[in-house]
Amino acid sequence: MKFLRDAFDKARPNFSEGGKFAFLHSVFDGFETFMFVPGHATHSKVHVRDGIDMKRTMITVVVAMLPVLLFGIWNVGYQHFLATGEGESMMEQVITGLIQVLPIIVVSYGVGLGIEFYFAQRRGHPINEGFLVSGLLIPLILPPTIPLWMVALGTAFAVIIGKEVFGGSGMNLLNPALTARVFLFFAYPAYMSGEFLSNGDAVWFLGNREALVDGFTGATSLSQIAAGVDIQYSVWDMFMGFEKGSIGETSVLATLIGAFILIISGIGSWKIMSSVFVGGFLMGTVFNMIGGTPFLEMPAYYHLLIGGFAFGAVYMATDPVSAAQTETGKIIYGLLIGVMTVLIRVANPAYPEGMMMAILLMNVFAPTIDYFVVESNKKRRLKRATV
Amino acid sequence: MQDLINIGVKSIFIDNMIFAYFLGMCSYLAVSKKVSTAIGLGAAVIFVLGITIPLNWLVYNYFLKPGAMTWTGIEELATADLSFIGLIIYISVIASFVQLTEMVVEKLSPALYAALGIFLPLIAVNCSILGGALFMIGRPYNLAEATTFGLGSGIGWFLAVVALAAIREKLKYSHVPAPLRGLGITFIIVGLMSFGFLSFMGFSIN
Repeated sequence: MKFLRDAFDKARPNFSEGGKFAFLHSVFDGFETFMFVPGHATHSKVHVRDGIDMKRTMITVVVAMLPVLLFGIWNVGYQHFLATGEGESMMEQVITGLIQVLPIIVVSYGVGLGIEFYFAQRRGHPINEGFLVSGLLIPLILPPTIPLWMVALGTAFAVIIGKEVFGGSGMNLLNPALTARVFLFFAYPAYMSGEFLSNGDAVWFLGNREALVDGFTGATSLSQIAAGVDIQYSVWDMFMGFEKGSIGETSVLATLIGAFILIISGIGSWKIMSSVFVGGFLMGTVFNMIGGTPFLEMPAYYHLLIGGFAFGAVYMATDPVSAAQTETGKIIYGLLIGVMTVLIRVANPAYPEGMMMAILLMNVFAPTIDYFVVESNKKRRLKRATV
Repeated sequence: MQDLINIGVKSIFIDNMIFAYFLGMCSYLAVSKKVSTAIGLGAAVIFVLGITIPLNWLVYNYFLKPGAMTWTGIEELATADLSFIGLIIYISVIASFVQLTEMVVEKLSPALYAALGIFLPLIAVNCSILGGALFMIGRPYNLAEATTFGLGSGIGWFLAVVALAAIREKLKYSHVPAPLRGLGITFIIVGLMSFGFLSFMGFSIN
């Protein structure tokens, strides 16, 4: 490690004020703090309670996403071979998955970090670590068959319009990863629902369509139920994630492992996560009581298992920037996301999946929720103070 | 009943005055700097839309529509078509109603009057109010549906303006690029907000 330290110390004068590369100061800073714990201290009075900083927070979230990512990579390969009816070995499945998923991750990180670096230089702020998370979330919520230029376009939109115009990390209005997805969803709807290969039915299949086995249908569980057909996956398959869908969203089990890491490390809010599940379950139960169509009668807990519900609840809704900030606000925010997701799934035939739209809608209203929570707190405390 | 719910949901979220028709933008952008004033103006818009749209519905269906005045029993009036003066009539109904409200509020509750200040008279020239009246004429609504539509449009405007104000209050602390400060970033925010409101596109209760 000594030689690294020396290399940084030797290069520092070039990047400090007056040096040759002074305009690249934040790049240097970014790499240095990536390798070593920064030695910065606060200039005013002491207020540090913990050694945690942005970098450690973000890396913890990335670690929490690894189970989902690994499972997603394998599942992409597994679904592919399920469609072609060959390739039994686990190794082959993982490799096929990697070939498909890795380029998406590389493009998302490359484009996003490139833009981040550029803005950091131009605006003279340190490089934000926030994109380490968003850059991995974006591939996880896209279908594996998406063209790479779309990944680049969506990422660029999310980073520039969704984040940098507001002044970088910590200021964005909407969740950046969802901004990328919603942009692509409305710009290229056919690609996003996996329909572009075929004559109407959704296909999660890489490559030549001729090679499909007979009787193979490419529908996700959500598109099956929306079409009025019974879901062909068992509860166990849906829980484990042996189904089609966006890369990271299928496995509830892997998501729960991630949730465990986030909650134990105190980084994800358990209030938001649990209230999203409660909200979704309540709304599902209400629809069960109304009944009538297969979708309305679907058991309430199915809603929590299919599609991106668990993934959205754990990784998306808990984004500390775009979620509600107050403690009571978090519960209201989570409940409304759960309720809205099920409502959109069932009552809005335009979208098979409601999670993305519900989170975006509540992102928009999160500051409003906070405002009213703070106002009611003020009112309560004022009452107490005047006694 | 189902029709009314559908019209309500549609006018609040899907055909939102701001995000779908860009109506009432001027006061929307100007008065969304603080949540408290946004609530005041939003409430006033709900109130005025909720009353003037049914009023204009009555005016249209009993005076202006071709053959609307058959109820008078006078033959010349029964065949008259006054819809060409519609625009003037609607705006006068709106303006006089707003004036009336202003006077009543000033008399009964000076506190509320002071809080609303200039916003109450401003509503008379808010395009979402006249826009609401014109949409109502173009659609085959009955009186109950027109009232629901008016209230729904008002609530949609209220939600939009309060949410924007809360976001802008929060945004005071962020480091927005200098050229975008003020209206520029507000337009971008409104664009991103409309993503959220797209959730309801295609929504229907059967």
